[in-house]
Amino acid sequence: MNSFISKRINNIQFAILSPDEVRKMSQVRVITADTYDDDGYPIERGLMDLHMGVIEPGLKCATCSGKVDECPGHFGHIDLAMPVIQVGFVKEVKMFLDGTCKNCNRVKLTEDEMQAYGRRLSEKKLEDYDPELLTLIIKKNLEQAIKREVCPHCGFKNLTVILDKPTTFREGAKSGGAAEKKITPKEIRERLEKIPDDDLIYFGLNKSFVRPEWMILTALPVPPINVRPSITLETGERSEDDLTHKLVDIIRISQRLRESRDNGSPQLIIEDLWDLLQFHVTTYFDNQTAGIPPARHRSGRPLKTLVQRMKGKEGRFRSNLSGKRVNFSARTVISPEPFLSINEVGVPEKAARELTVPVTINQFNIDVMREWVKRGTTPTKENGNYESGVNYILRPDGRRVKITAANAEDNSQKIDIGWVVERQLSEGDIVLFNRQPSLHRMSMMAHTVRILKGQTFRFNLAVCTPYNADFDGDEMNLHVLQKEEGRAEARIIMKVQEQIMSPRFGGPIIGGIHDHVTALFLLTHGNPLFSEKEATHIMSYLPVDKDMKPVSVENGVKYFSGRDIFSAILPEDFNIKFRSKLCSGAKRSEDGTFVCEYEENQEDIDVVIINGRMIHGTIDETAISPFAGKIIDKIYRKFGAAAAAEFIDKMTRLAVAFISFRGFSTGIADYDIPENAISEIKEISIEAEKDVDGFVIDFKEERMNPREGKSVEETLEEEIMKVTGEARDQSGKIASQYLGLTNPSVIMARSGARAKMLNISEVAGMVGQQSVRGQRLNRGYDKRTLPHFKKGDLGADSRGFVKSSYKVGLNPLEYFLHSIGGREGLVDIAVRTSRSGYMQRRLINAFEDLKVNERRQVTDTVGEIIQFKYGDDGIDPTKSENGEALDMNYILFDEENGGEQ
Amino acid sequence: MKVILWKDTKKNIENLMEKAENLFYAVDFPVSEGIEEAYISVDKKKVLYRAKVTEISEYNLPNAKKPAEKGKKKKDTRELMLKKKTGLKTVLHLESLEVLAPSIPSSDFSLGRNKINAVDSYYEATLERIVITQKEKYSSVIEGPVRQLIEKELDKGVVLPLHIAEMLTKIKKEKGQDFFNKILKRVEEDLEERQIDPFEAVGIIAAQSIGEPGTQMTMRTFHYAGVKEVDVTLGLPRLIEIVDARRTPSTPSMDIFLKDEYARDDDAVSRVIKDIENTSVIDVADVITDTDEMMVIIRPKRKLMDRRRIKEQDILDAMGSIKQITIIQKEKGDTSVDYADIEIKAQQESYKRLYQLQEQVKAVNIKGLQGIKRAVAVKERDGTYKLQTQGSNLKQVLEIEEVDAVRTTTNDIVEIANVLGIEAARNAILKESRDTLKEQSLDVDERHLMVVADMMTIEGQVRAVGRQGISGKKSSVLARAAFEITVKHLMRAGIVGETDTLTGVAENIIVGQPITLGTGAVDLVYRGNVPDKGE
Repeated sequence: MNSFISKRINNIQFAILSPDEVRKMSQVRVITADTYDDDGYPIERGLMDLHMGVIEPGLKCATCSGKVDECPGHFGHIDLAMPVIQVGFVKEVKMFLDGTCKNCNRVKLTEDEMQAYGRRLSEKKLEDYDPELLTLIIKKNLEQAIKREVCPHCGFKNLTVILDKPTTFREGAKSGGAAEKKITPKEIRERLEKIPDDDLIYFGLNKSFVRPEWMILTALPVPPINVRPSITLETGERSEDDLTHKLVDIIRISQRLRESRDNGSPQLIIEDLWDLLQFHVTTYFDNQTAGIPPARHRSGRPLKTLVQRMKGKEGRFRSNLSGKRVNFSARTVISPEPFLSINEVGVPEKAARELTVPVTINQFNIDVMREWVKRGTTPTKENGNYESGVNYILRPDGRRVKITAANAEDNSQKIDIGWVVERQLSEGDIVLFNRQPSLHRMSMMAHTVRILKGQTFRFNLAVCTPYNADFDGDEMNLHVLQKEEGRAEARIIMKVQEQIMSPRFGGPIIGGIHDHVTALFLLTHGNPLFSEKEATHIMSYLPVDKDMKPVSVENGVKYFSGRDIFSAILPEDFNIKFRSKLCSGAKRSEDGTFVCEYEENQEDIDVVIINGRMIHGTIDETAISPFAGKIIDKIYRKFGAAAAAEFIDKMTRLAVAFISFRGFSTGIADYDIPENAISEIKEISIEAEKDVDGFVIDFKEERMNPREGKSVEETLEEEIMKVTGEARDQSGKIASQYLGLTNPSVIMARSGARAKMLNISEVAGMVGQQSVRGQRLNRGYDKRTLPHFKKGDLGADSRGFVKSSYKVGLNPLEYFLHSIGGREGLVDIAVRTSRSGYMQRRLINAFEDLKVNERRQVTDTVGEIIQFKYGDDGIDPTKSENGEALDMNYILFDEENGGEQ
Repeated sequence: MKVILWKDTKKNIENLMEKAENLFYAVDFPVSEGIEEAYISVDKKKVLYRAKVTEISEYNLPNAKKPAEKGKKKKDTRELMLKKKTGLKTVLHLESLEVLAPSIPSSDFSLGRNKINAVDSYYEATLERIVITQKEKYSSVIEGPVRQLIEKELDKGVVLPLHIAEMLTKIKKEKGQDFFNKILKRVEEDLEERQIDPFEAVGIIAAQSIGEPGTQMTMRTFHYAGVKEVDVTLGLPRLIEIVDARRTPSTPSMDIFLKDEYARDDDAVSRVIKDIENTSVIDVADVITDTDEMMVIIRPKRKLMDRRRIKEQDILDAMGSIKQITIIQKEKGDTSVDYADIEIKAQQESYKRLYQLQEQVKAVNIKGLQGIKRAVAVKERDGTYKLQTQGSNLKQVLEIEEVDAVRTTTNDIVEIANVLGIEAARNAILKESRDTLKEQSLDVDERHLMVVADMMTIEGQVRAVGRQGISGKKSSVLARAAFEITVKHLMRAGIVGETDTLTGVAENIIVGQPITLGTGAVDLVYRGNVPDKGE
């Protein structure tokens, strides 16, 4: 908070550390393989030397004299007794040994070749090439050099270098067989040292940053202690980090090697120790190097060394750098609250007391904040309701003071301009609300806070769809924004009402679901009448003040129509015309008019709203639900986000009001169909079985003609599938004949609230053929699905034709076979989520940098143009009408009926 | 079309070019009447020059003093240019000699059925030309008032989509000027308002819009698309396949359309099917291995062969592809068999070789196109036939006479890129992904798919979405390291001395500063209270 100038990192330069640099940035040369002495104090020049930082409270860093959280940590180093190869660079080292002359150490390219390649490669160009292309170019360039035995510069005849993975090099005659000699890292280093700077470019090295001999380590940096903190177990025992363990090994062996070398031990022993040192250094870097066993902890668990720390999903990059843990967040179970606006979220008091918003004190708010601080940490209003207090105050010197009931009064006097008060969450604060998996931007939206009693987060049911949430135990996260910029952006961009339109398809993704649809369907279908008393009751849920004209007056009682009640929540000057879902499956009849699948009153089918008054039609899925919701869509476009949010709020309230007034439920008896229908369905199933048997007999007697391009077996299966499918459809039709729009389930299906007619026919009629991978069940036992059938039985029963309905219940065999079919669905979901998740990660990663520039072109980070005009027409899909730039029919209808104000 | 094609020296051509017009060129070969175009190659491979032949006459006089029999031309002394000094036979009157850019490869010319690989002398060849009927200019198809409207709006900076312009014109006619003006104003405003905002993160939105419905897709790999006979991968696996840019899809399939004159012709349809369906020996004959005689016997089945229109000779011809064998065709002694057996012996006698041979023989391709396992005719609503195939071979299918090359397509995107080019591949990605999503009745705006298709093809080749393709080629080290194969990228960055300029999203998140998209892309500078220069 000491500077208003924000700094930005311009670029990051990568390079390899030279031994000199390692020593220069080192604060201590570590020589002792021990960590702590008996008193638990870090040993000097040991691996926990205080120069490398502190992890224990109370101690001070010997380098920067910072305390635990202040000291950033400092590097130390180990001087290795003998050089060893850095595993990550083995390939490059090999390349150098192959490509240079042993005698004169120049790259084995002729002057001509060097000139030719030099043109394509320069230090500056190295960066511009994409990595794969560069590797290819270098490989191509060096091909000659590697093949060449005789050095074109000095005429020396070179031997072939062989790499024994992972880190040992040998040298021998090209023909092999001749005495091969091991090249020690020391020798390698000497050779690499002599390669002239100007030759490095042919190996793809940038001479300004890298020398090849740096790939052979002589000094090893020791990471700061913060990087490898030791933990104290409950028993008081200290447990060191994996890296520390590894460093201990390295120091130990390095020391032994140094001693052996200095007191002239046999070459064999020295070499063994040297190899051991190489092993330890190798595993210190990468404990999954191919060809060597991973170093293990005493318990047998492989150690997590440097590469393992960075790699993969749990590695530093993906887990700590690309995504971070945050403070000022809360998570709990969610539950519905229809009386909240879609822009609101209900936060339990308990969470609100913990979540804070920092307020910098200035001359305008100091008095208010004094008052707040005075309240302490758990203030309540006079009526016992929540009131936000203050948890901490931050002094200008950075000290944080916790407010308690005891010191509240005191501190309220102390605060001054420039101090920061961390006040508790209050109503009206803006917060981010999120449900995982966060698959699209609507998975994280901004809500304003309402503090509620209880333990759960609550929100309007219309917002379930974008979060893909239900209330069977789902939990969601809430984040409190800490800065004004963030809050401003959240309010303007991320607020729920701003996200009503989905960028995926240019339509609303927030709208009424389930009971909302059912309720408004019932309210408007057939335009029922309500007495004044009833209408008042329903409308008492709504914050509307509107003059309602009764449709009729009978016996002195005013009657209001359902459509008029619905009209009360519509904005004035709203015009729309569309066909409701009720008329799905419409076909054009011979005389050119549309005929719906189920005969309906024309008044109910076409929704017509003129000047905010619903003339006729039925409100159902097409009108108010997410994805389809025409009314929401058009209100949003004509009157803006706030009006759309207001409509949704009122709509959900009206729906709840009406459905709780009318009552709505379904039960098993709703699926009762008359005796004769039952026997008719039975007839159908018997008929189908007979047909199946007929096909099977045809097949067995080889009378079946295969379809073109299919085998006889496939043909049989297809025929049977067709027959059983038809049987199910027919039984469904019979069942639904007796189940009309008075039936709750049918109402739900037809209005689009939940389920399909198919599901109803499964309950009342027949469940039908079960399948796995689109085929009749055929797995399980040898040539049969269950041991209750004969082997090779191809009949309907044995292959999963379920004749019963859910209502009647399945017999045990059917139940088993039905479960087989059901399992496929479960497996499918499990497989799908992981596969589509990975696909999305790849998509995001590939496209995350694309943006539209000032000229509405699509460009990437480098500035390369991907599209000259976004989507060919520059139209934002979010604002498009289902992909189209404009909905002319709507504009026409709207203008004809009043138009824009 | 018949044309005359010959090889000439560079010098000759230069001379000819200088003359340019009213050229009489004496050449050393006969040219038949009726040829109207001449093509000349200098380097055998490429044909670089073209000229119109307006007159062909015999070369008879050493000085070419052709009497002005045809008389109408006043110049009767024609200035002749000679290709050679001797052996001249014909005089060609050439007009508008021009350099072809780009040049035509000699293989575009054919002599009878054979392509000309090198132009060594002269040929009366046919030039197989793909006639590209230039699309009529958009504006010329549109009728007057609509066009005027579009142009007028364009001047104002509003790009009016055609169908909206048409509708507007209709409104003007039906509802009068005032109402029209009102609507037009609203259309203009709406179009302007709906433009995409600068700095919008369109890539992320596209990725989310495609990825999010992925969770709702089915995993069922096989489904029937159109015909029951051809299985096609659909749903999520297909979508993944598209963004992976696999070299071959798991179920390659083609939609082959026929030219109008054949599309309703049953015979033509079945002929094409027979032509393209790949038939191997095992499809039409029994293959028996005789271990006593150490030979493989092919016993052709008449019924199967007739159905596929294959003759004995076809099998014998096909056997030519196997090396080091002796083929013996038996006399047809036994009348009970349809055709005589064909015996095949390997020159090297061993059981191993015999086994190999048997496998080889079974797989030998007699007829049809490589890769096309099956073709099925589907009757369209308008009564025409369309062929659907299992397996794909776009290049060779397009060469078939009856096939309408314009509409015929395959679901193999990489193949399209190879045969038709990268822009076609871009459209193919768009079409395939759109169809896959539509089949699952998932509503995804086409613009998102365009971003994906454009990004995948921007480099001139189809790149996969993932570490092998787009992600692996990002310029930022940190972004690459954060995606996959972390360590490799970091190590390499060190050697090359890479610099990460922190321009992308991932790298800025890693270092903890605002990203360069959306509100992070603009800088706001507070100037403070600029003192009023009170006037």
